[in-house]
Amino acid sequence: MSDTGDLLHVVTNDDISPGRQAFGKAIVWASLALLAATALVQTLDRTGALPIGLSNWRPTLYAYVLFSICLCWSQVLIRGEQGKRVLFVLPAALFVISLVVFPLIFGMMIAFSNWNLSSPDGRQFNGLDNVRQMWSDPFYWNALGNMVWYLLAIIVEYAIAFGLALLLNAQIRARKFFRVAFLLPLMLSPVAVSWMVGKSMLEVRFGPIANLARFLGWEDPSFFSSPELARATIMVLDAWTYIPFMMIMILAGLQAIPKDVQEAARVDGASAWRGFWEVTFPLMLPVSITAILIRIIFKLKLADIIINLTSGGPGGATDSVTSFIYREYRDRSNVGYGTLLAMVYLVLIIIFMTILMKLADRWMRPKY
Amino acid sequence: MKVEIYNALVARSAMTRRGLLKGAAGIGGLAALGGLGLGAGARPALAQDNLRAEILKIPGVGAGSPTDADWQKVGEMCLGPTKANVAEGEFAGVELTFMGLNNQNLHNFLFRGFLKPWEAYTGAKINWIDLAQADYNPRLQQSIATGTVDFDIVEMGAPFEGDTAGQGLLDEMPDWVKAQIDMDDYVNYLKPPVGTWDGKVYRITIDGDCHTFSYRNDYFTDAAITAATGLTAPPTTWQQVNDFTKKVKGQKDPLTGLDAYGYLDPLKGWGGFGFYFLEDRATAYVKHPSSPAFLFEPETMKPLVNNAGWVQAIQDVMDAIPFGPSDQINADPGTTAFQQFLAGTGSALCWWGDVGSMAKTSDTSVVGEVTGFSINPGSEKVYNWQTQAWETPESPNFAPNMAYLGWGIYVTKNVSGDEKKRKAAWSAAAHLGGKDISLWMAAYPSGFQPYRNSQFNYDEWEAAGYDRAYIEDYLGSNLDSYNHPNAAIEPRIPGIFQYYSVAEDELAKGYAGQYKSAQETADAIAAAWEKITDQIGRENQIKLYKASLGM
Repeated sequence: MSDTGDLLHVVTNDDISPGRQAFGKAIVWASLALLAATALVQTLDRTGALPIGLSNWRPTLYAYVLFSICLCWSQVLIRGEQGKRVLFVLPAALFVISLVVFPLIFGMMIAFSNWNLSSPDGRQFNGLDNVRQMWSDPFYWNALGNMVWYLLAIIVEYAIAFGLALLLNAQIRARKFFRVAFLLPLMLSPVAVSWMVGKSMLEVRFGPIANLARFLGWEDPSFFSSPELARATIMVLDAWTYIPFMMIMILAGLQAIPKDVQEAARVDGASAWRGFWEVTFPLMLPVSITAILIRIIFKLKLADIIINLTSGGPGGATDSVTSFIYREYRDRSNVGYGTLLAMVYLVLIIIFMTILMKLADRWMRPKY
Repeated sequence: MKVEIYNALVARSAMTRRGLLKGAAGIGGLAALGGLGLGAGARPALAQDNLRAEILKIPGVGAGSPTDADWQKVGEMCLGPTKANVAEGEFAGVELTFMGLNNQNLHNFLFRGFLKPWEAYTGAKINWIDLAQADYNPRLQQSIATGTVDFDIVEMGAPFEGDTAGQGLLDEMPDWVKAQIDMDDYVNYLKPPVGTWDGKVYRITIDGDCHTFSYRNDYFTDAAITAATGLTAPPTTWQQVNDFTKKVKGQKDPLTGLDAYGYLDPLKGWGGFGFYFLEDRATAYVKHPSSPAFLFEPETMKPLVNNAGWVQAIQDVMDAIPFGPSDQINADPGTTAFQQFLAGTGSALCWWGDVGSMAKTSDTSVVGEVTGFSINPGSEKVYNWQTQAWETPESPNFAPNMAYLGWGIYVTKNVSGDEKKRKAAWSAAAHLGGKDISLWMAAYPSGFQPYRNSQFNYDEWEAAGYDRAYIEDYLGSNLDSYNHPNAAIEPRIPGIFQYYSVAEDELAKGYAGQYKSAQETADAIAAAWEKITDQIGRENQIKLYKASLGM
């Protein structure tokens, strides 16, 4: 056994022969070559250049599995115990690559294709045509514009959620009951919310909320008749469902703040407002930012309420990007263009969230 | 028959055991007469009549919903035509795959029962693919697009014929099947070219569909309303409908006491199906008797949707918006039918037969006793797209909208190479599309509407226990539409619902005032349609469109 190197963590110091190393390398390269050859043959078969009549891509899949096994095995053959350590991670990494990277590559291929399921020509690569179409598609830009409004509503939702969390954190009667009661909307499916509240309680003729509004003096309580009102109603319904989620996160944060901090502020003569604004709110920033970021992610996926209630109307005023993609993909079988829209939206979300997290990080960094 | 319609008819008939026995006794008497022998020539006809009467007794109108045992019994009794063409055990060893729907536990569930005796007799075995309605279109489209058609027999709507027959995925119907199912008995609009491509027949029809005009009779008898509108009979043209809708504003509904409204236009999309409702108005303006085309020019696939006739229809809808309920911009066809018309809001609409039946039985319906039916309104003027000019015919131009063409059974190319399997597939399909079994499907919950002239023999329905007046009212409006010489028949081209869906989006913008005019809205639809045509392939679309029109 060697007396140099990482003696602390090495259990057995392998004495690996050159032949074993060569064999390890050989099986990797051989299986990789087999994988490449199989993929090439399948591609040629699919394009018609070498028609051998393969009905599916399973041969390539099997070649990939074989390559993965050889790659893992070769780690042990070549590197001994170090290789065994790699085996703790490598199979999982290969699995993730199979489930994420390959579908992403296929997704990108579809996104740059003209693929309408009704077209007898099937999928055809069309370069940047889908991007150009997106660029001049008023429905997509309108939906993106609507998303800005929907996102801005989160500020109001946050304020309400914070207020409710403060209330529930205070010593009020039936606190536990209210905590459960306030959480109930979150437990409802958005589809149920859109039918029970949107289509029933807000129904202009017999809906109880409409009747109440009429009683309060609103002559024609129609909640979806004008673009602004319809958008606001969608915002309220979505907020009603998800405010409890933000509230419960903020409440958890509030309960984690030591009471003596507030007590010290009070001893120093701080008013209730200053106590909140100068002490509680800054301490709650990390939780708040997390709650808002997660809420933004939820909001960007907003679709079910819109699809059920307005189908994006009136005149596209309530359309979200997701509900538009749903129509493009499901109703119009426009797979290529729909996939591109989804991909672009994904990229936009990643950019937006990255910037937001950087800003939040900078904002939360101690100033002193 | 659809479940709700069956319930409506049963409720309407107020079926009693006595009534049922009366009908049965009559049929029994006829059967006895047949047994006495009325002459050799009359025997086959009587045997046939007897079979039809006998199957209508299973399980008996008003005796609860039929079960699998009933379906098997009917299937067994209707095996005669199969036995005439197939020897016992002829298909031993043959396995077929059947793809269809499982809506309301009907469709495939019925087919299973009907085909069980057929399997026992022929020796074939059927494997089933059951799909929910929402999954059906994606499953079919993906099978076609990825070249994985894994079914031999498929239950499919005629609008998908472009996607399947148009792409050479279907097997042509053999002549013996045509004779077995008596295709001449189909109502006019379901006769070729529907079910055919390039002159070849592919479809065994098992269902029919059309829109009819439902209206409130009490709006034409109420003193205040008639004084305001001047109408004492239901409107028969869109000009009258528009005039009526404007004049009735400000009146009170005779039933509910709430605000009265005229015709109800659904202004919100419905996954493409909403476009049928603009078609209801437009066909009267644009479906000229001299041409079957009303959506595209057959030689170029240039959209007709922005011609003067269509623009007039869109303009009519826009003009009616201020006179409709305040939230109409957010009303889809489901809302207009079930939340508005049946609940007492509005006095007229165009819809499928469901409205008529639900008017009588639905708990939320308040209009059961005051609803009448007719074919869709006509127009005093009609736009001829070929001469690009308006014409004023001597009598109004009627063009009932055959919205969706009903379900059919098709056999795929998968079986074409194996003659035994092919015959087995067609025999199974023909069994389901048989003349007698179809009468049972029309009379009991099955998910299917009448589609044969022989199904409109009201005596049979009355003998089975139905209320004659109502059955005539219910079936009559459908029959008048089905057999209308100028019926607007949906083109069966690939992606037809893509055209409808994108039109809904543009119409929503137009109705919300985002386009300057009806013409601009129509031009936007036309531009979007051109894009779809180019994407799917113009030349191919032209070919298929002409084939679907029988040109």
